[in-house]
Amino acid sequence: MYNEIISEHFMNPRNIGELESPDYIVEVSNPICGDTVHVFLNVSPNKTITALKYLAYGCSGSIATASILSEKMINQGLHALKAFSRKDIETLLGELEPSQLHCIDFGLEVLKKCAEPELHIYEKKEFLVED
Amino acid sequence: MNLVKDIKSFGFSPVSSMISSSSELFKLPYEEICKIKTEIIKENFSYHFEKNEFYRDVCKQKDVTPDDINSFEDLIKIPLIPVRTFKEANSHHLLSCKLSEIEFEMRSTGTSGIPSVSRRDSKTIDYATEGIVKMYREFFKISKGVGMFLFPPTEEMPEMGMIKVLNITAGLFDGTRNMVKKVSFNPQEAVEVLQSWEGKHVRNIVGPPFLIYKLLSYMIDNDIKIKLDKKSLIITLGGWKKFTGKEIPRNEFNALCAEYLGMNPNNVRDMYGLVEANMLAIECEQQEKHLPPWVHISVRNPRNVLEEVNPGERGVVAIYDPTSLSYPGYILTEDVGYIKTDMNCECGRVGQKLTYISRIPGVEVGCCAINLEKYIEENESKRCPDDATPEWIGV
Repeated sequence: MYNEIISEHFMNPRNIGELESPDYIVEVSNPICGDTVHVFLNVSPNKTITALKYLAYGCSGSIATASILSEKMINQGLHALKAFSRKDIETLLGELEPSQLHCIDFGLEVLKKCAEPELHIYEKKEFLVED
Repeated sequence: MNLVKDIKSFGFSPVSSMISSSSELFKLPYEEICKIKTEIIKENFSYHFEKNEFYRDVCKQKDVTPDDINSFEDLIKIPLIPVRTFKEANSHHLLSCKLSEIEFEMRSTGTSGIPSVSRRDSKTIDYATEGIVKMYREFFKISKGVGMFLFPPTEEMPEMGMIKVLNITAGLFDGTRNMVKKVSFNPQEAVEVLQSWEGKHVRNIVGPPFLIYKLLSYMIDNDIKIKLDKKSLIITLGGWKKFTGKEIPRNEFNALCAEYLGMNPNNVRDMYGLVEANMLAIECEQQEKHLPPWVHISVRNPRNVLEEVNPGERGVVAIYDPTSLSYPGYILTEDVGYIKTDMNCECGRVGQKLTYISRIPGVEVGCCAINLEKYIEENESKRCPDDATPEWIGV
């Protein structure tokens, strides 16, 4: 089902976790399928990512995408993230089945949001709990 | 005699053998079923103990190895995996195989939006589909007729567990029609479809309770009554709680099915299952939810889930599912229920019967059905011009 690149990153995720004092927290989520990633960034004054951790939830492809991109984003300038093309993501993720192609868009969205991070804290979301 | 060893000695699968013999297993004395379940669960536990490093560590922390499982009473020693683990960021630890061996990912999303993802390899999918089809045949005896599906086509939501499982009935019917399309449901259209099938096929309705209730409410508001066929079934899955938190009363639901759909209330059959398990507990004509004979349910003390409570006592439902190979299918759910004290059912079957009560207080509200209801409500609200309400909303 999943190619070797995705499989390897899913089973051995890089940079997984949270930063203790992140400068920014970026959330990317798909409201329909629920694939979600929280990226924790530390950014230097010259807008370079000095540290990055993430927590990803959802399908294995999305989780692996977060791991693959995390390796590429560390030590990059924020502006450089905008330079990643769809083709670049396709190359990084390897061959995907039709049902996995959403990972490319997911990856592009992660890069786009991380290039212009806004939030400094978790945006707490309300959800229903059982009485 | 060790049934598992004997079956394996012929090169056959003990799990498949049990599934294909389930009708016979439902007639065995309960003590015999327990012996067979113990053998098959021990076999599966040994598999995960060997293949899954994370689970083996859990077992070592609890000081349990397969050698400790020698009787039915020992099953409680097998460590359980809390169902929330399937939502965690490091859920890769759950796998007893490589990701490249996973054939299909299935999900259920609650109101928090974070999905619970279950990853199944080819053999696990074989067992799951064999088991589900066998249980459908055992309890519904479907081989013809038509099914009106009150859920979206799987192509619209291919990974949603509830839809995938309900859609398996499609292969047993002569024809089906999905009445939820593009996340919208029009009850009038459903009424017309049921009427168009009259006198041609035995008509069945399959879907989550909230959508069937929506159909019934529309029929009440518009004073529409239909008489379905003598053998018509209403098959439900997904729980009786609505997104608003309001519960659909089961007795009222049955009575409305009788009055507005002309159904025998005994043919309203609910099912219990969760995306993380490969099984469905299905109601017989006595409306008792029977567990598949290869699955064991242990009900745990909510104050100390390591303790089992007796049949008849309420507690947290734990599932031992030996059909799962891609991850250990020993799942501590977030559901409250109890096992009926009498293992013999008036329907003639023997085995565990589960009564589901509710979710555990304080846990996230959510399952496929509630999420689907939320999408439909949001989608239909968006389609309303200004404050206008479409005629099928507000039921």
